[in-house]
Amino acid sequence: MIFNSSTSIDAESLSAADGLLVLITRALDKLKPGEILEILSDNPSLEHDLPAWARLMAHQWLGTTAKDGRRSHRIGKGSALRMLVDRQPDWGQHASIKDGRFETRDWLLGHAAEIRERAQPSDGFAPRGAEVEKGGPDFSFDVLDRNQAWSESAAEFYEQATAGQWDGSRDIPWAALRPLDEELERAVCQLMTFLAENEYSALYVPAKWIARIHPHFAETVLFLSTQVRDEARHIEVFVKRALANGGGLQFSSASTQASLKSLLDQEDFIQASFLLSVLGEGTFLDLLRFVEAHAPEPVTREIARRTRIDETRHVHFALDHIRHALRGDGTLKPKLRQAITDRASVLSGLKGLNPLVEESLVILAAGGLSPGRLPAGMKARSQLYETMNENRIRRLVSIGFPDSEAQEMSELHTPNFM
Amino acid sequence: MSNVTKVGVVAYDPKVVTIWEGIKDYFTANHVAMDFVLFSNYDAQVDALLDGWIGIAWNTNLAYVKVHRRTEGKCGVLAMRDTDVGFTSKIIARAGSGIESIRDLKGKRFALGSRDSGQAAILPEYFLKKSGIDPAKDITTIRFDLDVGKHGDTGTSEVEVLNAVTKGDVHAGAIGDQYWARALAENLVDSSKVRAIWTSPGYCHCNFTVRAKEDEPRFARWTDTLLKMDYNNPSDRKILDMEGLKRWIRPQMDGYRVLFEAVDDLQFFD
Repeated sequence: MIFNSSTSIDAESLSAADGLLVLITRALDKLKPGEILEILSDNPSLEHDLPAWARLMAHQWLGTTAKDGRRSHRIGKGSALRMLVDRQPDWGQHASIKDGRFETRDWLLGHAAEIRERAQPSDGFAPRGAEVEKGGPDFSFDVLDRNQAWSESAAEFYEQATAGQWDGSRDIPWAALRPLDEELERAVCQLMTFLAENEYSALYVPAKWIARIHPHFAETVLFLSTQVRDEARHIEVFVKRALANGGGLQFSSASTQASLKSLLDQEDFIQASFLLSVLGEGTFLDLLRFVEAHAPEPVTREIARRTRIDETRHVHFALDHIRHALRGDGTLKPKLRQAITDRASVLSGLKGLNPLVEESLVILAAGGLSPGRLPAGMKARSQLYETMNENRIRRLVSIGFPDSEAQEMSELHTPNFM
Repeated sequence: MSNVTKVGVVAYDPKVVTIWEGIKDYFTANHVAMDFVLFSNYDAQVDALLDGWIGIAWNTNLAYVKVHRRTEGKCGVLAMRDTDVGFTSKIIARAGSGIESIRDLKGKRFALGSRDSGQAAILPEYFLKKSGIDPAKDITTIRFDLDVGKHGDTGTSEVEVLNAVTKGDVHAGAIGDQYWARALAENLVDSSKVRAIWTSPGYCHCNFTVRAKEDEPRFARWTDTLLKMDYNNPSDRKILDMEGLKRWIRPQMDGYRVLFEAVDDLQFFD
């Protein structure tokens, strides 16, 4: 090995035990194997400390000489790589910061902007763009394809989601609750119970997929984590409303549970996202609008309004994600259709929507059990079901299904809404 | 079984199994049949080598000297670690003890590692004698006899020597440079209390010993395969890091001379 003199550092009287080795290591990092680092020092112990350390680190110890009343120690950089990587990390990135904001979509810089067609399992939890040392374990993430897991707009939806967070304890006007007619309160409590159980599935399904999507597709993972957070808050406020005004949590039906379990059992990310967010949460938008419109008091109204805004974001994210995936994969469309058919056959032996929920929708819209108002409640519920169906068809058409196919698919959707 | 090269290794720590399972996997991947045999101490391993139970012994320097004596110098050496060359012992002293050189040790309390540790007992004692300090008369020696019989380059007794100097139980002590360098890098040294004041001449540490020089060609394939382990290969790197080297090298025997002298001078095996 040929050693060339290159760099010198002044270590003053710093001891090897007190950080000098860090100083030397960082100085050596900037050199090529074979280049020499000179350490000027006033500390007499270094001539004992540095040769031992250099040997341990496989650098070449070149000795100590006197220089201007001080000691000059010389180390030749060894050839062992500190990190086994294929290329050096990025340096010199400057993100665009506008009006004091660093938007997530603007973080596509340098190596971090390289979105692979297929993620490397061994990149593990390294943030995209970091240089990953070889020899790490293979992680068991199984959503590895860009077409499945990434879309340009995910960063934008994530940005909207973080800006739209609210506080279920503070932002709902809880103090405005007043005692309601008992049957009306019972209907509200049953609907809140139903909404909460559905939102559990909307929390667990993305949570399951977060654990399976490779972190290379960070924008999607970050967005889904906001979805999980949103659903946690929705569960919180629905349960709180059921408990807040003299009622309590009501019935959870076997058919609802079966319908929700079939979402959690999905083993394909795009299909799960399609069933949950496009069809399920999409249908829920109409349900929440109905609850908001017929809410008997401001608390239920505000809960429905706020949760609907969040759910709208989830639906739009999923629509965008699926449109993106459909563009890249010609075989996907029949698979999505099949997913609806398969789910319908799994659920075929079950009863429809929990009748207690169906009745509660009528009672909510009628404002109670007054015979004079029940017909209007019945009509409102029928209108709701029609609206749900129309909007489902509209969404299916918007992602590219022909009208007739969209109609068939909408009809196969679970009567449980979610 | 006759084609399987059996390598003796001393189990001074549970990680020895992990290291040698890794080395065995490496050899298997390279189509060389080898297995390792664990010993609880170097004396048993040396006996097993001489009795032909094992073909190769991964020996510490003292165990090598023992084989060398018992074979009357006929034993052979296949390879060693890059870190086995230029090993030194350090004398570390308590700040404020007035010890700046070996001469200043007279009349002081001095800590040594296990009696079978080349770097923390045998060689330091020998070098002290050569520098005019008789360990039996001129200083009060405190010994930390830990892991006796298994002392490799990672002796736990050296930890005790550093602790004793730091606490002021002794004025100075001897340790190997490898532990000293690790202690410096890992912030285990209080520089206001302890510093190195002397470094020994370099010597060699561990090696792969075989019974006879004539056996060396018989193990040539094994040795060549070992030497091909590559620090730039992730799976090799894990093993090499655990075993404390960057690459395996051909033997450099000059570094054992001082050890023979020390063992003779101290009549260590007598």
